[in-house]
Amino acid sequence: MEPLISMGVLALMGAAATVAGASEDLESDVGSQSNPNSQVQLAPQMMYPHRIYNKAISGEPPSNALMCAVGGTTATVLMSAYNMSPVFAIAMGALIAALVHGTYSVTAFLGRPTSQKRFKQPVYLDILWSHTPVIMGYSYITTFCILVISYLMVSVLGHPFPLPLIAFIWGITIGAIGSSTGDVHYGAEREFQSVEFGAGLNAANSGNIVRKGESGLRNGFDNSWFCAKFGGPVTGIAFGMVVFLSGWVTTVFDPAKGIAIGWLSVIAGVILVLIMILWNRKIEVAARAAYGPYKEDEVAA
Amino acid sequence: MIDIAGILIDNILYVLLITLGGALISLSVHFVPVGGAPAAMAQATGIGTGTVQLAAGAGLTGLVAAGAVMQVSNSLPLVLAAGAVGAMIMMSVTMIVGTWVYVYGVGCPPASAKVKYDPITKDRQDLYVSQGTEGHGLPTVSYVSGVLGGLFGGLGGSLVYHSLITAGMGPDVVMSNLIGLASVFAVGIFFVNAVIPSYNIGGTIEGFHDPKFKKWPKAVFSSLIATFMCALVAVLAIGGL
Amino acid sequence: MSAGGPGGEAHGGVAPGKMIVFGLLGGLICIYAAHFLAMVNPVFSFIGALGAVCAIVWGADAVRRVCSYGLGTGVPSIGMIALGMGVIASLFGLAVGGLAGPIVAVIAAAIIGLVIGILANKVLGMNIPIMEKTMVEIGVAGALTIVGLSTTMAGTFMFAEVLELVVAPGYIAVIFIAGGMGILHPFNACLGPDEEQDRTLAVAFEKGGIAMVIAGIVSMVISTAAAIPSIVIGLLIWYISFAKFYELTKRDAYKVLGTGLLPTEEELQ
Repeated sequence: MEPLISMGVLALMGAAATVAGASEDLESDVGSQSNPNSQVQLAPQMMYPHRIYNKAISGEPPSNALMCAVGGTTATVLMSAYNMSPVFAIAMGALIAALVHGTYSVTAFLGRPTSQKRFKQPVYLDILWSHTPVIMGYSYITTFCILVISYLMVSVLGHPFPLPLIAFIWGITIGAIGSSTGDVHYGAEREFQSVEFGAGLNAANSGNIVRKGESGLRNGFDNSWFCAKFGGPVTGIAFGMVVFLSGWVTTVFDPAKGIAIGWLSVIAGVILVLIMILWNRKIEVAARAAYGPYKEDEVAA
Repeated sequence: MIDIAGILIDNILYVLLITLGGALISLSVHFVPVGGAPAAMAQATGIGTGTVQLAAGAGLTGLVAAGAVMQVSNSLPLVLAAGAVGAMIMMSVTMIVGTWVYVYGVGCPPASAKVKYDPITKDRQDLYVSQGTEGHGLPTVSYVSGVLGGLFGGLGGSLVYHSLITAGMGPDVVMSNLIGLASVFAVGIFFVNAVIPSYNIGGTIEGFHDPKFKKWPKAVFSSLIATFMCALVAVLAIGGL
Repeated sequence: MSAGGPGGEAHGGVAPGKMIVFGLLGGLICIYAAHFLAMVNPVFSFIGALGAVCAIVWGADAVRRVCSYGLGTGVPSIGMIALGMGVIASLFGLAVGGLAGPIVAVIAAAIIGLVIGILANKVLGMNIPIMEKTMVEIGVAGALTIVGLSTTMAGTFMFAEVLELVVAPGYIAVIFIAGGMGILHPFNACLGPDEEQDRTLAVAFEKGGIAMVIAGIVSMVISTAAAIPSIVIGLLIWYISFAKFYELTKRDAYKVLGTGLLPTEEELQ
């Protein structure tokens, strides 16, 4: 294909991926999912009952993979069986996916606190009614964007995998990225804002999550408001970078044009990875210099 | 019924290659620095997610890249390299953004609690570990280890995929059927081999400098056996096309 | 991951033996019934998904039993390995078995599951007493789920049709994850010290209903007439089991409140 057109498609995929990453992270913050949720789960046991959604739908990768696979399947069925336009089919697919995701959220929210009866954590129905539509809204955006990426990959860039499978794989990947990056901002910072900035969570504080908000008792909305300032956008950048860079190396150096160019794409990828290793090192050095050690060296002192 | 013995004899090489790919995936999971739930609270070194999920995310990204290259080139080394690079890019990006969050969002310098000095940079680690935690973030050694994890995971995944496609290739094979079957088998084999090592390390590991890393032969042995069985049935199913 | 922590044997409720009979026989009978009745009229293909629902419920119960011991990593991993071996075993079974396909799939899944279970206990040293048994159960349940849903989607379990209508267009991916989540989510969602079997299994039925609806959507590719019964019956299963789940939630929860403040200090004592 014309290289500039594939670059344009790639840019569109990168943009869609950035939006998807951000909405994926905020979806997991408003509902409290994955690893940070272990503290929400632990809190009542430590005598800290709370009013935070408890969306224990497995980890983020399987739950996002489910959304995307359901959306991709529905969209493919509508396109192949009824010849519907891709835009409409993708929108419908994302809608069905959001509905399915909603039922998973509701069962997790009702199930987990109920199984903690002895710690006296009540089930607040207003949290259920107010948060679930927001969770579904975010999941709609995520699924829609992933389906756009998958559709472009299959129909324009000519990827051999079928659309539902590509959507499934990107769902796993976006979930893995979301739970590795943005969730840390929610888990390590927002849940424990009461402890000093710059400290990791002391094991003694486990379960002592912040339960009071700027106004009233804290809930998932307050958490997503906070994470939308940093955790969500960086997750978006992360997923956008993965989609863009992994496609970029083969778009600029197209292996279809010969083995040698194929190897150039591999070299380009390795160079990117080396740059990121050095970048990580630079941040590490800067952080150590800026924040300093937590304790004095006993031998030197 | 199909000719089971005939297919097996024809494809024994691919069975072995798939088994090798599974073992590589199993090994790769040991390199990926994951701290599980504690890491998500900056309470342990590593990426704040589960082993299976992150390894699968990286490996499957590699599989997508390998699938794309396999479409246009049948050179085995190139397909393997494309898969490995795809997975390495996914791991590097995830870890660099993870570092942003730990450093700028949470305010912790990267530090390991398992070793006193970073084996690569020789930096002192224990002084930078916040009180009451077991390290946080991704010091250089964990980062490099994660990249290696991506490398092996991507290699393994694309080796499995390439072997399945080549085993199934025949004069009257419908390409979309073959690709559908091979890709879903590759995903299945990937998940089996991502879960086995995560049971071995109990969910968390800092990287190749972690004492738990020494347990890898157990998981790789288990994966060899489990993948061998999966490879047998997968090649029988795909060879009969 | 928010693992269940070290625990013991799961308590109470329907005995494992009955669940095995329900899942294995229910699954196989429904799959064969769907296959032969759908030859008469494609409308009957929905019965295959009923078999998948039986298998999902059985698988969820097996996950519940093994995860009560605490795996050291999250519950989801076991659902993923179940479907990982399930998908390989079931497609192998259908490919080589012909009419005996589902049975070959069950046997293949049982063998792979047994080997992984033995490896987990003996080589990896997990030392969970029921590991081997439940790995077999989970693998077979995963395989039956895949065969059941594929039968509904394709209207038959003959390999050529399944390959063309389910695997090649990638719908196998949604079977993989919807089945896997159906098996792992019920216990994961109800995890906790006061978990009850009937409430967990109500979620399993509910997730089975959703998987059935999705299979119905896919079977639209063949005929709308085949899709409608699957979707309607799936929604019915979903509604009944969700209502049951909500009722049991009200029975088991400390309090189900419209809204309110947090429990007071005295209340927590």
